[in-house]
Order: sequence, then C-alpha cells, then structure tokens
Amino acid sequence: MIDFEEELKKFHPSLEVEDAETYIHNTDVIDVVDLMIQLAEASRIYEE
Amino acid sequence: MRCFNCGAVLSGNDFCTNCGTDIRIYRRIMRLSNMYYNDGLKKAQVRDLSGAVESLRQSLKCNRNNIDARNLLGLVYFEMGEAVAALSEWVISKNIKPERNVADDFIEEIQSNPTRLTGINQSLKKYNQALSYCHQESYDLAIIQLKKVLQMNSNLIVAYQLLGLLYIRTGEFGRARKTLENGRKIDKNNTLLLSYLREAEAALEERDGNALPHGSRGSSHARAANDSIVYQSGNETIIQPLNTPERGGSSTFLNILIGLAVGIALMWFLVLPARIRSSAAENSDEMVQVSNELTEKSADIDELNKRVSALTQENRDLNDRIETLSGGGSVVERYDILAKAALNYIEHPDDVIATSGILSGLTSGDTEEEDSEIVYSDAFKALYAYLNSDVSKKAAEEYTSKGMQAYEGENYNEAITNLQNSFNVDPTNDKVLYYLASSYRNIGDSDKATELFSALVNNFPDSEFLDSARGYLRNGAENENADQNAGNNNSQNNEQPAQTTTDQVLPGLDLTNGGQAAQPAVDPLAGIGAAVQ
Repeated sequence: MIDFEEELKKFHPSLEVEDAETYIHNTDVIDVVDLMIQLAEASRIYEE
Repeated sequence: MRCFNCGAVLSGNDFCTNCGTDIRIYRRIMRLSNMYYNDGLKKAQVRDLSGAVESLRQSLKCNRNNIDARNLLGLVYFEMGEAVAALSEWVISKNIKPERNVADDFIEEIQSNPTRLTGINQSLKKYNQALSYCHQESYDLAIIQLKKVLQMNSNLIVAYQLLGLLYIRTGEFGRARKTLENGRKIDKNNTLLLSYLREAEAALEERDGNALPHGSRGSSHARAANDSIVYQSGNETIIQPLNTPERGGSSTFLNILIGLAVGIALMWFLVLPARIRSSAAENSDEMVQVSNELTEKSADIDELNKRVSALTQENRDLNDRIETLSGGGSVVERYDILAKAALNYIEHPDDVIATSGILSGLTSGDTEEEDSEIVYSDAFKALYAYLNSDVSKKAAEEYTSKGMQAYEGENYNEAITNLQNSFNVDPTNDKVLYYLASSYRNIGDSDKATELFSALVNNFPDSEFLDSARGYLRNGAENENADQNAGNNNSQNNEQPAQTTTDQVLPGLDLTNGGQAAQPAVDPLAGIGAAVQ
C-alpha cells in the first residue's frame, strides 16, 4: 500500500524559466575527472 | 583525447608523453562516460526516458564535457515536459562548446516561439501550485490544477505521476489508472508511474472481486452499502440502489396512465393558459400594429387626396387661364386689333374716327387682367399709347365737330351719338357734356338730361355752361317745352343744382343711346400707359 505522504515527498517543484539562470550557476559540474585531478594534486602535495 | 593534467594530445601510450601522467584510469573513465551515453541513447530510443536520464547523468558524472550526453539529456528533459531543465542543459553545453554545437539549434527553436515557451512556463507554474495544494491537503484543487497543466503541457511526466497519486489518494482508481497509462505513453519505464499503476490496478482488482455479479457494469464493482451498489463505469462512479421492489406489468401500465393524466393536467392548467395569454398578447400586438399601419395609410390617403384636389384646382386654373388667353378677347385678338388700328392709321391718317373705332375694340375685352404687365409687351403698350394719344384727340375733335353740326341742324339723335363718342374719348370737355345734355333735353329725355346737367354742375364748377345747367336743373321738366327753343342760349340763372352726385352719373359712363355701346370713360389701358411711362 502506498504511503501518500511519503510519496508526496518525492515530488519537487519544477524549474521555471525565471529560475533557470540561478539553476545554471548553481549546478555542480564536477565530474570524476575533476576528482581524479584533485586526488592527484593531493597526492603530489602529500609526497612533497 | 587530451591529457587531463597538461592538455597535450595523447598518444597510444598509457602515459602522457608530455608530462608523464598515467592516463589509464582517465581512459577508462572516458570509456565509461561514453558507455553510459550509449545506454542513455538506447533507452531514449525506446522511450524509456527516465532510464535515459539516469544513464546520461551517469555519463556526465564521468565526463562533464561529454557534449553529446548533455545535449541528449536536455532533449529527454524537453520530451518529459521539463523545458527549463532542458534549456539549462543546452546552455551549459553551449558554454562548454560554443562552436558547432547542436544545442544552438535547440535553443534557437525554443526561443523562436515565445508563445510556446510562455505556455510551458505557465504549465510549470501551475504544477508547482498544484504541488502546493497537495501540501495544504487541498486535493480537489490540486486535481483541477493538474488537469489544466496536462491540457497545456501534455508531456509533463511529473504531472501524470502526481495526478495519478492524487486519484489513488481519493479512491478514484479508474481515473488513476487512465492517467498513469497516458503517462506511460510518454515514458514507458518510469518507475514511479509503474508503481502507482500497479497500486491502482490492485485496488481495482480488489473491487472487482468484491462486486456483486448482477447489476454491475464496467470494469469494477463494489458494494458501498447494504442497500446500494457502487461501481465504476469508465470515469463515472455509479450508485445503484438495491432491494427495490419488482414492478409488475399492470402497475407499470397504471403508472404510465397516471403519468399521462398528470401531464395532461399540467398542460391544461399551466401550459395552455400561458400559451393562450401569449397568443392573445401576440394578437393584441398585431392588432395595434395593424391599427397603426391603417392610421398611417389613412393619413397618407388624406394627404394624397389633398394633393389631388390642389392639383385639380391648379389644373382648372391653368385651363381657365389658357381659355382666357386663347379665347374671345384674348391677347392674340387684342394684338390683332391694335395691328389693324395701326394699319388703318398708316393708310388713312385723316380717318381718325375709323382708327378710333378699331381701337375701341380693345376695350370690349377683359381689361381687368391682373397680370396685364405680363400679357402685353412693351411694344404693344408703346404703340397703343401713341395711337391713343394722337388718334383720340383728333377723333374727339372730329366727333365734337360732327356733333355740333348735327345739334345746330336739330338732328339731336346724331348729335347725341357724336357727342357721346367725343365725351367718351375726352371726358374733360364740359362743352361736349353740356350739348349732350341739351340734346337729350331736346329729344324729351328729361331724366338723362337732368343726369348729365347734374354731372356738369358737380364736375365742372368753373364751366361757362354752369349757369345754364343750373337753370335747367332748377326749372326741371316743367320748363322743358319752353326751353326747347332756347337751346343755344346760355342760361343766366344762378339757382342751386339738383343734388346729384358724380358717382350717380359718371360711374362707367354707360350712356347708351339707340343701342349703340358707349365708350368707357376710364381708359381701359390706363395702367398699361402708366407702366410705359
């Protein structure tokens, strides 16, 4: 049996046009490559 | 492919030939990103949009610069009704790769139709409003709002999901199933849609199992109470009462008869009076309208009759005028008389009496023409004035001479004729008047003589014949015989004349003698002469 209240929590307000700019600026576009670079940098600093 | 550390172009080695960085893991990550992209593309091709979104997001997590994956993700978002999310992905893609990017076309297509974009945005606002209603437990308002949303943006998957959930919440499992099925046509493997659909179908199957076998229609049945059956027929919930008595044929027939009787009674008492009143009112209106039209027509007829009368009178006047102008004594005839008089005057300048006689014909017609100024031309008036002034004077002298000769020869009748003509032509000659009166006295017409003597006394107070005239008037008819022989002697008496007024003697000077028409004392064309002058 569906728990209506719990199911309702899965729904979030949809993006409106006015929110698009904020959404784009706040989007975290870090990918695995960035993480790998950050790890490599941290490793290099650690070795030094 | 370029080195993630230094940006140099990589070769086939497992390390960067420029900076020496190990690129094996980097290569695997790139391949993983591409694999997710391919997976997302396949899912999108079979309309597994939510699955495609998951794969493409994984692809972008591996490689944020995977332009194809990001563009496809925007396209899938757009197909799911999330236009703003789609635009955001395409804008990010555009920023990462400004040149030769298909995202340009997508953005341009969206921006080229502002109306469509506004409609989509409005649908998203309504969806957010519906979600707010749900949090406020205003489920009916939320359902209404979501229906509007789906009318404006029929691809918005989240709206299908929420509406299906709300239908399940309100127990409208049939509508929930239909809504969710419609959502599945857009996104076949949406997990949320499928789970809600399964829930709705389970609820409907449960109803089917509990429904009574008879009296049920449609796909689901349910007993709502002891005395009724509630079941679903499409989108309609039907409540059918139970335990109703079975009606026999006779009672049905009786009920029909009663219904007919009630209907006829209603017609008789309610409908017919109203119709009769309505008909009577219509007839009354028509009568009023006809009466008004009749009145207008009558007024028109009266007006036309008046016009006919006026035109008839005008026609009659014009005919009279034509008759006057063309009949006896007409203008043409008068012109003819004047022409004859002028001809006679030219041929016989000394025969002024004949000319005067012809001119006198002008006085025999109607000389009281009101429009004589119009009838007679200026040439006519001038010619008449010339002839009348010249001929009349000579004619008067001729008549006087002949009259006096006749008087001296005691031919009084001839004397009266000539003197009368002379006086008619020249009414200012007192001598002619005196001898005319004397001629009448000599032939024994004392009344006429008295009348003329009285005229002489009254109109010529300075006349040399005044005393003689007074003497006659004093002695009257008694001395008639005695005075006959003294006709040529002037009377020396100074007695008062008889009280005869000018008006009694002179009006018209109709002094006829021997059936001969006397000439009028007043110049018949005096007005014409005055006009000429």
